[in-house]
Amino acid sequence: MTELILLTSFLIAFAIGSNDASNALSISIGAGVIRFKKAVFLFGILVFAGIWLNGNRVMETVGKNLIQVNPETLGFSLLISAVLIILSNWKKFPLSTHQIIIGSLVGNALASNSPVNFLSLFKILLSWITSPIIAVFISFFVYKLVEKFFLKIAFFKIERFLKTFLLISASLISYNTGANEVATVLGPVVYSGISINFFLLLSISSFLVFLGAYILSDRVIETVGKGILPLDPFSGFVAQISAGVSLFFFTLLGMPISTTYCMIGAITGVGMSKGLKTVKLGLIKKIAINWGLSLSLAFFLSFVITKIILIKFH
Amino acid sequence: MLEKFFGGGKLEKKALESIKNYLQIFISAQECLKNLFLTENLEKSYCIENLEREADSVRREIISTIYEGAFLPYIRPNLCAFIEITEKAFDFMKICAFEFRYLNKEFYQTIKEEVLKIANINIEMAEILYRAFQSLMEKNNLREKNLAIRIYEKKVDEIKLDLIEKVRQKEVTNFWEGKNIDEFLNALVKISDIIEDASDYLYILDISLK
Repeated sequence: MTELILLTSFLIAFAIGSNDASNALSISIGAGVIRFKKAVFLFGILVFAGIWLNGNRVMETVGKNLIQVNPETLGFSLLISAVLIILSNWKKFPLSTHQIIIGSLVGNALASNSPVNFLSLFKILLSWITSPIIAVFISFFVYKLVEKFFLKIAFFKIERFLKTFLLISASLISYNTGANEVATVLGPVVYSGISINFFLLLSISSFLVFLGAYILSDRVIETVGKGILPLDPFSGFVAQISAGVSLFFFTLLGMPISTTYCMIGAITGVGMSKGLKTVKLGLIKKIAINWGLSLSLAFFLSFVITKIILIKFH
Repeated sequence: MLEKFFGGGKLEKKALESIKNYLQIFISAQECLKNLFLTENLEKSYCIENLEREADSVRREIISTIYEGAFLPYIRPNLCAFIEITEKAFDFMKICAFEFRYLNKEFYQTIKEEVLKIANINIEMAEILYRAFQSLMEKNNLREKNLAIRIYEKKVDEIKLDLIEKVRQKEVTNFWEGKNIDEFLNALVKISDIIEDASDYLYILDISLK
Protein backbone atom coordinates (compact mmCIF):
# COMPACT_ATOMS: atom_id res chain seq x y z
CA MET A 1 0.00 0.00 0.00
CA THR A 2 2.90 2.37 0.79
CA GLU A 3 4.08 2.05 -2.79
CA LEU A 4 0.60 2.90 -4.12
CA ILE A 5 0.29 5.90 -1.79
CA LEU A 6 3.65 7.28 -2.87
CA LEU A 7 3.19 6.49 -6.54
CA THR A 8 -0.23 8.13 -6.76
CA SER A 9 0.79 11.22 -4.77
CA PHE A 10 3.82 11.65 -7.02
CA LEU A 11 1.56 11.23 -10.04
CA ILE A 12 -0.72 13.99 -8.75
CA ALA A 13 2.33 16.19 -8.10
CA PHE A 14 3.40 15.63 -11.72
CA ALA A 15 -0.14 16.48 -12.92
CA ILE A 16 -0.14 19.67 -10.83
CA GLY A 17 3.12 20.72 -12.50
CA SER A 18 1.84 20.01 -16.00
CA ASN A 19 -1.49 21.75 -15.56
CA ASP A 20 -1.23 24.35 -12.80
CA ALA A 21 2.14 25.86 -13.70
CA SER A 22 0.17 27.94 -16.20
CA ASN A 23 -1.61 29.72 -13.31
CA ALA A 24 1.73 31.00 -12.11
CA LEU A 25 3.73 31.44 -15.29
CA SER A 26 1.50 32.11 -18.27
CA ILE A 27 1.06 35.84 -17.65
CA SER A 28 4.78 36.53 -17.15
CA ILE A 29 5.82 34.35 -20.09
CA GLY A 30 3.08 35.82 -22.29
CA ALA A 31 4.21 39.32 -21.32
CA GLY A 32 7.78 38.50 -22.34
CA VAL A 33 9.10 39.20 -18.83
CA ILE A 34 10.79 35.81 -18.51
CA ARG A 35 11.54 32.92 -20.84
CA PHE A 36 9.90 29.50 -20.41
CA LYS A 37 12.95 27.54 -19.18
CA LYS A 38 14.02 30.16 -16.65
CA ALA A 39 10.41 30.52 -15.48
CA VAL A 40 9.98 26.79 -14.94
CA PHE A 41 13.25 26.56 -12.96
CA LEU A 42 12.14 29.47 -10.80
CA PHE A 43 8.74 27.79 -10.42
CA GLY A 44 10.34 24.52 -9.27
CA ILE A 45 12.52 26.25 -6.67
CA LEU A 46 9.58 28.28 -5.32
CA VAL A 47 7.30 25.24 -5.16
CA PHE A 48 9.90 23.52 -2.98
CA ALA A 49 10.36 26.66 -0.85
CA GLY A 50 6.58 26.99 -0.51
CA ILE A 51 5.92 23.47 0.70
CA TRP A 52 8.99 23.47 2.93
CA LEU A 53 8.36 26.83 4.60
CA ASN A 54 4.56 27.20 4.57
CA GLY A 55 3.10 23.83 3.61
CA ASN A 56 2.76 22.44 7.14
CA ARG A 57 -0.58 24.11 8.02
CA VAL A 58 -2.40 22.94 4.89
CA MET A 59 -0.86 19.47 5.29
CA GLU A 60 -2.10 19.39 8.87
CA THR A 61 -5.63 20.47 7.87
CA VAL A 62 -5.97 17.86 5.13
CA GLY A 63 -4.03 14.99 6.68
CA LYS A 64 -4.80 15.43 10.38
CA ASN A 65 -7.74 17.73 11.13
CA LEU A 66 -10.14 16.77 8.32
CA ILE A 67 -9.92 12.98 8.49
CA GLN A 68 -8.10 10.30 10.31
CA VAL A 69 -6.10 8.81 7.49
CA ASN A 70 -6.57 5.12 6.98
CA PRO A 71 -3.28 3.90 5.47
CA GLU A 72 -4.94 0.72 4.24
CA THR A 73 -7.27 2.54 1.86
CA LEU A 74 -5.54 5.89 1.34
CA GLY A 75 -3.77 4.58 -1.77
CA PHE A 76 -7.13 3.94 -3.48
CA SER A 77 -8.40 7.37 -2.59
CA LEU A 78 -5.27 8.99 -4.05
CA LEU A 79 -5.49 6.70 -7.07
CA ILE A 80 -9.05 7.90 -7.77
CA SER A 81 -7.88 11.49 -7.34
CA ALA A 82 -4.93 10.94 -9.68
CA VAL A 83 -7.13 9.31 -12.35
CA LEU A 84 -9.74 12.10 -12.14
CA ILE A 85 -7.10 14.86 -12.23
CA ILE A 86 -5.25 13.31 -15.19
CA LEU A 87 -8.53 12.62 -17.02
CA SER A 88 -9.79 16.17 -16.45
CA ASN A 89 -6.46 17.59 -17.65
CA TRP A 90 -6.44 15.31 -20.67
CA LYS A 91 -10.09 15.85 -21.63
CA LYS A 92 -9.93 19.56 -20.66
CA PHE A 93 -12.70 19.25 -18.03
CA PRO A 94 -12.27 22.15 -15.62
CA LEU A 95 -12.23 20.03 -12.43
CA SER A 96 -10.43 21.43 -9.40
CA THR A 97 -7.51 19.44 -7.98
CA HIS A 98 -8.33 20.47 -4.41
CA GLN A 99 -11.97 19.48 -4.61
CA ILE A 100 -11.13 16.13 -6.16
CA ILE A 101 -8.60 15.34 -3.42
CA ILE A 102 -10.80 16.53 -0.53
CA GLY A 103 -13.88 14.82 -2.01
CA SER A 104 -12.12 11.51 -2.45
CA LEU A 105 -10.46 11.66 1.00
CA VAL A 106 -13.82 12.28 2.71
CA GLY A 107 -15.49 9.55 0.61
CA ASN A 108 -12.70 7.17 1.51
CA ALA A 109 -12.88 8.00 5.21
CA LEU A 110 -16.65 7.59 5.38
CA ALA A 111 -16.53 4.28 3.50
CA SER A 112 -13.87 2.90 5.82
CA ASN A 113 -15.66 4.19 8.94
CA SER A 114 -12.78 6.52 9.78
CA PRO A 115 -13.74 9.69 11.67
CA VAL A 116 -14.39 12.82 9.59
CA ASN A 117 -14.19 16.23 11.24
CA PHE A 118 -17.25 17.95 9.77
CA LEU A 119 -16.32 21.29 11.32
CA SER A 120 -13.01 21.16 9.48
CA LEU A 121 -14.85 20.14 6.29
CA PHE A 122 -17.25 23.03 6.75
CA LYS A 123 -14.29 25.43 7.16
CA ILE A 124 -12.74 24.08 3.96
CA LEU A 125 -16.03 24.44 2.05
CA LEU A 126 -16.40 27.94 3.41
CA SER A 127 -12.86 28.84 2.31
CA TRP A 128 -13.66 27.59 -1.21
CA ILE A 129 -16.56 30.04 -1.33
CA THR A 130 -14.83 32.95 0.38
CA SER A 131 -11.41 32.72 -1.29
CA PRO A 132 -12.56 33.78 -4.79
CA ILE A 133 -14.82 36.44 -3.23
CA ILE A 134 -11.89 37.85 -1.24
CA ALA A 135 -9.80 37.76 -4.43
CA VAL A 136 -12.55 39.81 -6.17
CA PHE A 137 -12.35 42.52 -3.50
CA ILE A 138 -8.56 42.53 -3.29
CA SER A 139 -8.18 42.87 -7.06
CA PHE A 140 -10.89 45.54 -7.23
CA PHE A 141 -9.06 47.71 -4.68
CA VAL A 142 -5.57 46.88 -5.94
CA TYR A 143 -6.69 47.87 -9.45
CA LYS A 144 -8.05 51.22 -8.25
CA LEU A 145 -4.94 51.84 -6.14
CA VAL A 146 -2.41 50.94 -8.82
CA GLU A 147 -4.39 52.89 -11.43
CA LYS A 148 -4.05 56.02 -9.28
CA PHE A 149 -0.36 55.30 -8.70
CA PHE A 150 0.23 54.88 -12.45
CA LEU A 151 -1.31 58.28 -13.16
CA LYS A 152 1.53 59.81 -11.15
CA ILE A 153 4.45 58.09 -12.85
CA ALA A 154 5.90 58.24 -16.35
CA PHE A 155 5.02 55.66 -19.00
CA PHE A 156 8.40 53.92 -19.20
CA LYS A 157 8.53 53.68 -15.41
CA ILE A 158 5.11 51.98 -15.49
CA GLU A 159 6.50 49.54 -18.02
CA ARG A 160 9.46 48.78 -15.75
CA PHE A 161 7.17 48.48 -12.73
CA LEU A 162 4.94 45.98 -14.54
CA LYS A 163 7.93 43.90 -15.63
CA THR A 164 9.23 43.64 -12.08
CA PHE A 165 5.90 43.06 -10.38
CA LEU A 166 4.67 40.53 -12.94
CA LEU A 167 7.68 38.48 -11.90
CA ILE A 168 6.93 38.99 -8.20
CA SER A 169 3.27 38.00 -8.62
CA ALA A 170 4.28 34.91 -10.63
CA SER A 171 6.68 33.99 -7.82
CA LEU A 172 3.93 34.40 -5.24
CA ILE A 173 1.59 32.04 -7.12
CA SER A 174 4.48 29.54 -7.62
CA TYR A 175 5.23 29.66 -3.90
CA ASN A 176 1.56 29.02 -3.11
CA THR A 177 1.46 26.12 -5.55
CA GLY A 178 3.92 24.45 -3.22
CA ALA A 179 2.51 25.75 0.06
CA ASN A 180 -1.10 24.95 -0.82
CA GLU A 181 -1.63 22.64 -3.81
CA VAL A 182 1.26 20.24 -3.25
CA ALA A 183 0.64 20.40 0.50
CA THR A 184 -2.96 19.26 -0.11
CA VAL A 185 -1.65 16.15 -1.87
CA LEU A 186 1.09 15.42 0.64
CA GLY A 187 -0.93 16.12 3.78
CA PRO A 188 -2.60 12.67 3.91
CA VAL A 189 0.68 10.98 2.94
CA VAL A 190 2.63 12.67 5.73
CA TYR A 191 -0.04 11.85 8.35
CA SER A 192 -0.68 8.30 7.11
CA GLY A 193 2.12 7.02 9.27
CA ILE A 194 4.13 5.47 6.47
CA SER A 195 7.83 5.62 7.05
CA ILE A 196 9.47 7.95 4.61
CA ASN A 197 12.00 10.71 5.05
CA PHE A 198 9.99 13.98 5.18
CA PHE A 199 12.65 16.00 3.36
CA LEU A 200 12.94 13.36 0.66
CA LEU A 201 9.16 13.28 0.19
CA LEU A 202 8.98 17.06 -0.26
CA SER A 203 12.01 17.07 -2.57
CA ILE A 204 10.73 14.31 -4.84
CA SER A 205 7.24 15.88 -5.01
CA SER A 206 8.64 19.33 -5.83
CA PHE A 207 10.92 17.81 -8.44
CA LEU A 208 7.95 16.04 -10.04
CA VAL A 209 5.93 19.26 -10.05
CA PHE A 210 8.90 20.89 -11.79
CA LEU A 211 9.21 17.96 -14.21
CA GLY A 212 5.50 18.10 -15.07
CA ALA A 213 5.80 21.82 -15.71
CA TYR A 214 8.97 21.39 -17.76
CA ILE A 215 7.69 18.55 -19.95
CA LEU A 216 3.99 19.27 -20.38
CA SER A 217 3.04 22.80 -19.39
CA ASP A 218 4.45 24.77 -22.34
CA ARG A 219 1.35 24.43 -24.53
CA VAL A 220 -1.07 25.40 -21.75
CA ILE A 221 1.17 28.35 -20.83
CA GLU A 222 1.36 29.48 -24.44
CA THR A 223 -2.40 29.25 -24.90
CA VAL A 224 -3.25 31.09 -21.68
CA GLY A 225 -0.38 33.60 -21.83
CA LYS A 226 -0.71 34.64 -25.43
CA GLY A 227 -4.48 34.46 -25.33
CA ILE A 228 -4.89 36.64 -22.24
CA LEU A 229 -1.93 38.88 -21.79
CA PRO A 230 -1.53 40.76 -25.07
CA LEU A 231 -4.86 42.33 -24.13
CA ASP A 232 -3.63 44.05 -21.01
CA PRO A 233 -0.54 43.38 -18.86
CA PHE A 234 -1.76 45.78 -16.18
CA SER A 235 -4.96 43.78 -15.59
CA GLY A 236 -2.95 40.55 -15.74
CA PHE A 237 -0.58 41.80 -13.07
CA VAL A 238 -3.39 43.01 -10.78
CA ALA A 239 -5.29 39.72 -11.16
CA GLN A 240 -2.22 37.63 -10.43
CA ILE A 241 -0.96 39.59 -7.44
CA SER A 242 -4.47 39.70 -5.93
CA ALA A 243 -5.00 35.99 -6.42
CA GLY A 244 -1.54 35.41 -4.91
CA VAL A 245 -2.31 37.51 -1.83
CA SER A 246 -5.67 35.80 -1.34
CA LEU A 247 -4.05 32.36 -1.72
CA PHE A 248 -1.27 33.20 0.70
CA PHE A 249 -3.78 34.44 3.27
CA PHE A 250 -5.70 31.15 3.12
CA THR A 251 -2.45 29.17 3.11
CA LEU A 252 -1.51 30.85 6.39
CA LEU A 253 -4.93 29.81 7.73
CA GLY A 254 -4.16 26.27 6.61
CA MET A 255 -7.02 26.11 4.10
CA PRO A 256 -6.54 24.07 0.92
CA ILE A 257 -7.97 26.36 -1.78
CA SER A 258 -7.94 26.47 -5.56
CA THR A 259 -5.49 28.81 -7.36
CA THR A 260 -7.66 28.75 -10.47
CA TYR A 261 -10.75 29.94 -8.60
CA CYS A 262 -8.77 32.71 -6.94
CA MET A 263 -7.51 33.77 -10.36
CA ILE A 264 -11.08 33.77 -11.72
CA GLY A 265 -12.17 35.83 -8.71
CA ALA A 266 -9.33 38.28 -9.19
CA ILE A 267 -10.04 38.66 -12.91
CA THR A 268 -13.70 39.31 -12.04
CA GLY A 269 -12.53 42.03 -9.61
CA VAL A 270 -10.52 43.68 -12.36
CA GLY A 271 -13.61 43.53 -14.58
CA MET A 272 -15.75 45.02 -11.81
CA SER A 273 -13.43 48.01 -11.55
CA LYS A 274 -14.53 48.85 -15.09
CA GLY A 275 -18.23 48.42 -14.29
CA LEU A 276 -20.50 45.76 -12.84
CA LYS A 277 -21.81 44.88 -16.28
CA THR A 278 -18.52 43.16 -17.09
CA VAL A 279 -19.20 40.40 -14.53
CA LYS A 280 -20.35 37.30 -16.39
CA LEU A 281 -23.08 35.52 -14.46
CA GLY A 282 -22.80 32.57 -16.83
CA LEU A 283 -19.20 32.04 -15.74
CA ILE A 284 -20.15 32.08 -12.05
CA LYS A 285 -22.86 29.48 -12.77
CA LYS A 286 -20.32 27.34 -14.61
CA ILE A 287 -17.91 27.57 -11.68
CA ALA A 288 -20.64 26.56 -9.24
CA ILE A 289 -21.49 23.51 -11.38
CA ASN A 290 -17.81 22.59 -11.70
CA TRP A 291 -17.38 23.08 -7.95
CA GLY A 292 -20.19 20.70 -7.10
CA LEU A 293 -19.25 18.22 -9.82
CA SER A 294 -15.58 17.88 -8.78
CA LEU A 295 -16.44 17.35 -5.15
CA SER A 296 -19.40 15.00 -5.57
CA LEU A 297 -17.82 12.93 -8.34
CA ALA A 298 -14.63 12.37 -6.34
CA PHE A 299 -16.61 11.68 -3.16
CA PHE A 300 -18.97 9.23 -4.85
CA LEU A 301 -16.27 7.29 -6.71
CA SER A 302 -14.01 7.14 -3.68
CA PHE A 303 -16.84 6.04 -1.39
CA VAL A 304 -18.11 3.31 -3.72
CA ILE A 305 -14.69 1.95 -4.70
CA THR A 306 -13.41 1.92 -1.12
CA LYS A 307 -16.57 0.10 0.01
CA ILE A 308 -16.18 -2.50 -2.75
CA ILE A 309 -12.53 -3.04 -1.88
CA LEU A 310 -13.25 -3.33 1.82
CA ILE A 311 -16.08 -5.83 1.25
CA LYS A 312 -13.92 -7.88 -1.10
CA PHE A 313 -10.83 -8.04 1.08
CA HIS A 314 -12.41 -8.33 4.50
CA MET B 1 17.23 53.40 -4.99
CA LEU B 2 13.68 53.22 -6.37
CA GLU B 3 14.78 55.42 -9.24
CA LYS B 4 17.55 52.92 -10.02
CA PHE B 5 15.15 50.01 -9.67
CA PHE B 6 12.58 51.42 -12.07
CA GLY B 7 15.10 53.21 -14.26
CA GLY B 8 15.05 50.48 -16.91
CA GLY B 9 17.36 47.76 -18.17
CA LYS B 10 20.29 48.16 -20.53
CA LEU B 11 18.31 47.41 -23.68
CA GLU B 12 15.56 49.84 -22.68
CA LYS B 13 18.06 52.60 -21.98
CA LYS B 14 19.80 51.96 -25.29
CA ALA B 15 16.48 52.06 -27.18
CA LEU B 16 15.34 55.24 -25.41
CA GLU B 17 18.64 57.00 -26.12
CA SER B 18 18.43 55.95 -29.77
CA ILE B 19 14.84 57.21 -30.08
CA LYS B 20 15.87 60.56 -28.59
CA ASN B 21 18.77 60.71 -31.03
CA TYR B 22 16.40 59.83 -33.89
CA LEU B 23 14.02 62.64 -32.96
CA GLN B 24 16.91 65.11 -32.69
CA ILE B 25 17.98 64.15 -36.22
CA PHE B 26 14.37 64.73 -37.23
CA ILE B 27 14.47 68.27 -35.83
CA SER B 28 17.82 68.93 -37.53
CA ALA B 29 16.38 67.77 -40.86
CA GLN B 30 13.44 70.18 -40.43
CA GLU B 31 15.84 73.03 -39.71
CA CYS B 32 17.91 72.07 -42.70
CA LEU B 33 14.79 72.19 -44.90
CA LYS B 34 13.88 75.61 -43.56
CA ASN B 35 17.41 76.92 -44.29
CA LEU B 36 17.12 75.60 -47.80
CA PHE B 37 13.84 77.48 -48.33
CA LEU B 38 15.25 80.61 -46.70
CA THR B 39 18.60 80.82 -48.45
CA GLU B 40 17.59 79.06 -51.68
CA ASN B 41 21.08 77.60 -51.66
CA LEU B 42 20.63 74.27 -53.44
CA GLU B 43 23.78 72.82 -51.85
CA LYS B 44 21.85 72.74 -48.58
CA SER B 45 19.26 70.40 -50.06
CA TYR B 46 21.74 67.53 -49.77
CA CYS B 47 21.95 67.73 -45.99
CA ILE B 48 18.41 66.31 -45.81
CA GLU B 49 19.46 63.18 -47.67
CA ASN B 50 22.45 62.78 -45.36
CA LEU B 51 20.32 63.20 -42.28
CA GLU B 52 17.72 60.82 -43.65
CA ARG B 53 20.43 58.16 -44.15
CA GLU B 54 21.68 58.72 -40.60
CA ALA B 55 18.13 58.49 -39.24
CA ASP B 56 17.56 55.31 -41.22
CA SER B 57 20.49 53.57 -39.56
CA VAL B 58 19.34 54.77 -36.09
CA ARG B 59 15.82 53.53 -36.89
CA ARG B 60 17.15 50.04 -37.72
CA GLU B 61 19.12 50.03 -34.47
CA ILE B 62 16.01 51.01 -32.48
CA ILE B 63 13.81 48.32 -34.04
CA SER B 64 16.44 45.62 -33.54
CA THR B 65 17.04 46.69 -29.91
CA ILE B 66 13.30 46.53 -29.25
CA TYR B 67 13.02 43.04 -30.72
CA GLU B 68 16.14 41.90 -28.86
CA GLY B 69 13.90 42.17 -25.82
CA ALA B 70 13.58 45.79 -24.77
CA PHE B 71 10.17 46.67 -23.30
CA LEU B 72 7.10 44.50 -22.83
CA PRO B 73 5.99 42.87 -26.11
CA TYR B 74 2.61 44.47 -25.51
CA ILE B 75 3.95 47.98 -26.19
CA ARG B 76 6.49 47.09 -28.89
CA PRO B 77 4.12 47.35 -31.91
CA ASN B 78 3.01 50.90 -30.99
CA LEU B 79 6.58 51.98 -30.25
CA CYS B 80 7.79 50.59 -33.59
CA ALA B 81 4.82 52.15 -35.38
CA PHE B 82 5.80 55.51 -33.87
CA ILE B 83 9.33 55.18 -35.26
CA GLU B 84 8.19 53.93 -38.65
CA ILE B 85 5.59 56.63 -39.12
CA THR B 86 8.17 59.32 -38.31
CA GLU B 87 10.36 57.83 -41.01
CA LYS B 88 7.66 58.73 -43.55
CA ALA B 89 8.16 62.40 -42.64
CA PHE B 90 11.84 62.01 -43.63
CA ASP B 91 10.69 60.67 -46.99
CA PHE B 92 8.47 63.70 -47.54
CA MET B 93 11.30 66.06 -46.53
CA LYS B 94 13.54 64.33 -49.05
CA ILE B 95 10.91 64.74 -51.78
CA CYS B 96 10.52 68.41 -50.80
CA ALA B 97 14.26 69.07 -51.05
CA PHE B 98 14.51 67.17 -54.32
CA GLU B 99 11.58 68.98 -55.97
CA PHE B 100 12.84 72.32 -54.65
CA ARG B 101 15.96 71.94 -56.82
CA TYR B 102 13.74 71.99 -59.93
CA LEU B 103 11.23 74.57 -58.75
CA ASN B 104 10.90 77.76 -60.82
CA LYS B 105 12.60 80.27 -58.51
CA GLU B 106 10.59 83.19 -59.89
CA PHE B 107 7.40 81.39 -58.98
CA TYR B 108 8.90 80.37 -55.63
CA GLN B 109 9.14 84.04 -54.62
CA THR B 110 5.33 84.28 -54.80
CA ILE B 111 4.88 81.39 -52.32
CA LYS B 112 8.08 81.80 -50.27
CA GLU B 113 6.33 83.46 -47.32
CA GLU B 114 3.81 80.62 -46.91
CA VAL B 115 6.44 77.92 -47.49
CA LEU B 116 8.64 79.44 -44.76
CA LYS B 117 5.67 79.66 -42.41
CA ILE B 118 4.99 75.95 -42.92
CA ALA B 119 8.68 75.10 -42.49
CA ASN B 120 8.76 77.05 -39.21
CA ILE B 121 5.62 75.32 -37.97
CA ASN B 122 7.11 71.94 -38.89
CA ILE B 123 10.18 72.73 -36.77
CA GLU B 124 7.96 73.72 -33.86
CA MET B 125 5.93 70.53 -34.27
CA ALA B 126 9.07 68.36 -34.41
CA GLU B 127 10.34 69.97 -31.22
CA ILE B 128 7.01 69.40 -29.49
CA LEU B 129 7.09 65.79 -30.66
CA TYR B 130 10.52 65.41 -29.05
CA ARG B 131 9.21 66.92 -25.82
CA ALA B 132 6.12 64.69 -26.01
CA PHE B 133 8.39 61.65 -26.19
CA GLN B 134 10.34 62.93 -23.20
CA SER B 135 7.02 63.14 -21.35
CA LEU B 136 6.86 59.36 -21.52
CA MET B 137 10.11 59.20 -19.56
CA GLU B 138 9.48 62.00 -17.10
CA LYS B 139 5.92 62.54 -15.99
CA ASN B 140 4.82 65.62 -17.97
CA ASN B 141 1.60 66.56 -19.67
CA LEU B 142 1.56 64.59 -22.91
CA ARG B 143 -2.04 65.48 -23.67
CA GLU B 144 -1.15 69.15 -23.76
CA LYS B 145 1.62 68.51 -26.29
CA ASN B 146 -0.63 66.31 -28.38
CA LEU B 147 -3.17 69.13 -28.47
CA ALA B 148 -0.52 71.71 -29.45
CA ILE B 149 0.56 69.51 -32.35
CA ARG B 150 -3.05 69.26 -33.54
CA ILE B 151 -3.46 73.04 -33.41
CA TYR B 152 -0.26 73.53 -35.44
CA GLU B 153 -1.44 70.98 -37.97
CA LYS B 154 -4.66 72.93 -38.39
CA LYS B 155 -2.61 76.05 -39.02
CA VAL B 156 -0.68 74.26 -41.76
CA ASP B 157 -4.00 73.23 -43.34
CA GLU B 158 -5.10 76.88 -43.40
CA ILE B 159 -1.82 78.00 -44.99
CA LYS B 160 -2.22 75.19 -47.49
CA LEU B 161 -5.52 76.75 -48.66
CA ASP B 162 -3.79 80.10 -49.19
CA LEU B 163 -1.02 78.36 -51.11
CA ILE B 164 -3.52 76.59 -53.37
CA GLU B 165 -5.19 79.94 -54.09
CA LYS B 166 -1.82 81.39 -55.15
CA VAL B 167 -0.84 78.35 -57.19
CA ARG B 168 -4.13 78.59 -59.10
CA GLN B 169 -3.13 82.09 -60.32
CA LYS B 170 0.02 80.60 -61.86
CA GLU B 171 -0.19 79.54 -65.45
CA VAL B 172 1.49 76.18 -65.79
CA THR B 173 3.26 75.86 -69.14
CA ASN B 174 4.16 72.19 -69.18
CA PHE B 175 3.41 68.88 -67.46
CA TRP B 176 6.73 68.62 -65.60
CA GLU B 177 6.42 72.10 -64.14
CA GLY B 178 2.93 71.29 -62.85
CA LYS B 179 4.04 67.96 -61.47
CA ASN B 180 7.03 69.58 -59.77
CA ILE B 181 4.88 72.23 -58.02
CA ASP B 182 2.26 69.68 -57.02
CA GLU B 183 4.78 67.22 -55.58
CA PHE B 184 6.70 69.93 -53.76
CA LEU B 185 3.64 71.40 -52.07
CA ASN B 186 2.05 68.05 -51.40
CA ALA B 187 5.18 66.75 -49.65
CA LEU B 188 5.59 69.99 -47.68
CA VAL B 189 2.10 69.89 -46.17
CA LYS B 190 2.22 66.12 -45.54
CA ILE B 191 5.05 66.48 -42.98
CA SER B 192 2.74 68.04 -40.38
CA ASP B 193 0.16 65.29 -40.99
CA ILE B 194 2.79 62.68 -40.23
CA ILE B 195 3.92 64.46 -37.05
CA GLU B 196 0.30 64.57 -35.90
CA ASP B 197 -0.05 60.82 -36.51
CA ALA B 198 3.22 60.16 -34.65
CA SER B 199 1.99 62.23 -31.72
CA ASP B 200 -1.24 60.21 -31.70
CA TYR B 201 0.82 57.01 -31.44
CA LEU B 202 2.64 58.43 -28.41
CA TYR B 203 -0.69 59.26 -26.82
CA ILE B 204 -2.04 55.74 -27.47
CA LEU B 205 1.19 54.32 -26.05
CA ASP B 206 0.84 56.43 -22.92
CA ILE B 207 -2.69 55.26 -22.16
CA SER B 208 -2.06 51.64 -23.19
CA LEU B 209 -0.61 50.58 -19.82
CA LYS B 210 -3.11 52.45 -17.65
